[in-house]
Amino acid sequence: MPARNHKRWNEVPGELREGEYIDSRIYSDRAIFEEELAKIWKKSWIVACHESEIPEPYDFRTTTIAREPIIVARGSDNQVRAFLNVCPHRGNTIENRPSGSFRNGTASGAPRHMTCMYHGWQFDMKGNCTHISREKEGYQNRLSRNDLGLRRLRCEVHFGGFVWVTLDDAIGKTVEEWGAGCFDCLQKHVDAEPLEVFHYHKAIIHANYKLWHDTNSEFYHDYLHYHNRITGFNDAYFARQNTGFENGHVTVGSFEVQYDKYEGFESRESLSFPGLPPNHWYMIDMFPGVNFNLRGSALRCDIMTPLAPDRVLIEFRGLGLKSDTPEERMSRVRHHNSIWGPFGRNLHEDLLAVTTQQAAMNEHAEPRRILHGRHENNTIHDEIGMRHFYDEWGRWMNRRPSDPEKPYAAAA
Amino acid sequence: MTWKRVCSAGDIEPGRLAPFVVDGITVIVANLGDDGFSVFPPSCPHMEEPLDQSGICAGLILTCSKHLHQWNMRTGEPTGPEENDRELLRYESRVEGGELLARIDGELVYEHEDDEDDDFEW
Repeated sequence: MPARNHKRWNEVPGELREGEYIDSRIYSDRAIFEEELAKIWKKSWIVACHESEIPEPYDFRTTTIAREPIIVARGSDNQVRAFLNVCPHRGNTIENRPSGSFRNGTASGAPRHMTCMYHGWQFDMKGNCTHISREKEGYQNRLSRNDLGLRRLRCEVHFGGFVWVTLDDAIGKTVEEWGAGCFDCLQKHVDAEPLEVFHYHKAIIHANYKLWHDTNSEFYHDYLHYHNRITGFNDAYFARQNTGFENGHVTVGSFEVQYDKYEGFESRESLSFPGLPPNHWYMIDMFPGVNFNLRGSALRCDIMTPLAPDRVLIEFRGLGLKSDTPEERMSRVRHHNSIWGPFGRNLHEDLLAVTTQQAAMNEHAEPRRILHGRHENNTIHDEIGMRHFYDEWGRWMNRRPSDPEKPYAAAA
Repeated sequence: MTWKRVCSAGDIEPGRLAPFVVDGITVIVANLGDDGFSVFPPSCPHMEEPLDQSGICAGLILTCSKHLHQWNMRTGEPTGPEENDRELLRYESRVEGGELLARIDGELVYEHEDDEDDDFEW
């Protein structure tokens, strides 16, 4: 096929139709990015952390959702609650550490309370304001601590102990309803007994968050993965099905992986999750940006936090069973790292791919088309996962992914 | 009523405070200089701040540095600019033969509410 001049380059290639390609501006445009935070990220259930990261009463974890600081804390009643990590007084960040415990107090505050270090205002684990200085002298009867509770956020511990938070009080859906069945394939296996995070790392990637979601949403980029190309494939690998669910979620069906055929790998026959046959591989991509990836003995969860059109913070967690023996845990860690560790099979290659993708579609580049047009009976060669995601994206944004200047229209 | 040895009078410099454990009960001892000693429980009457870390002595006045609540260590009365209606509980004490003795029959404790009720509504 010949190279194309500028005019031909800008035409829709071949006979691709609406929904089978998207406009690169949705990965790079600043206004669209800000709109995504407002219309999608502030309106969805987002995973903040896993409950095993705050195992004891008064443990906390901080994060952000759509640039809003969030704190998740476990109360003396063992319930996990989420709040805006913002003092109602002068708007300071209350807790600056990523995690810790309030049990013994902080440098400027009382035990078992959150403390704003600026003026010593205190809040309990339920978000009640329990101390402000000179309450009566300063505010007479115009304002009291009863008026000054924290901004509480809807929070649920669900789908294997993950802590879900939303900024939208009026979301109108439980996390279960939000999942719309996409977690059915794993739910009973990850809810049978408590899970525990054994691996955590985070990275700021120079890519739009959707590019990372894309790379998790199709499985035929094995051209990228040297080790995948040379070992471990079988027909069942390619026969797996992508399934779309309401709210933009997609799952990839499992198959029995021959881990012992991977060069340098061992079988995962002896270790799995409760009730789950060994050596399987499930993938759940949830809208707008969390991915669950269970490979036999290790569950991985990627949580994305978009920072800018071309920046995404990805937090990677590896999980096993809380009841693991030390030997079982070591196996899970080894299996996790062999795929997803820094010297693992493919994580770094995926990161490289999305980074170079973003470099070519920077905000000053001419808009161009990104093709999602493969149809192969919904198998992993099919780009149905991305089409499903972008249809949902268009609905939430009221923009057409193929031409974001136009309002959303359902694909034919 | 038992008088128990807490420490030697020379163990703490005037104007300082320090924790001691007497028969399993932790107390704070403050050396008030010419005004003798004050012996009181280790947590702040306000919100259980650990006074061995947060307590500051100045003359007779104890200040908890966390929320700037203050007490007169001789009388236990609250004082200072912060609103505070809680008394500082104290153990009776005296010096005898260079040893500080305190009357400790049981641990003095403040009542603190646990978390307030969760009567939050969406």
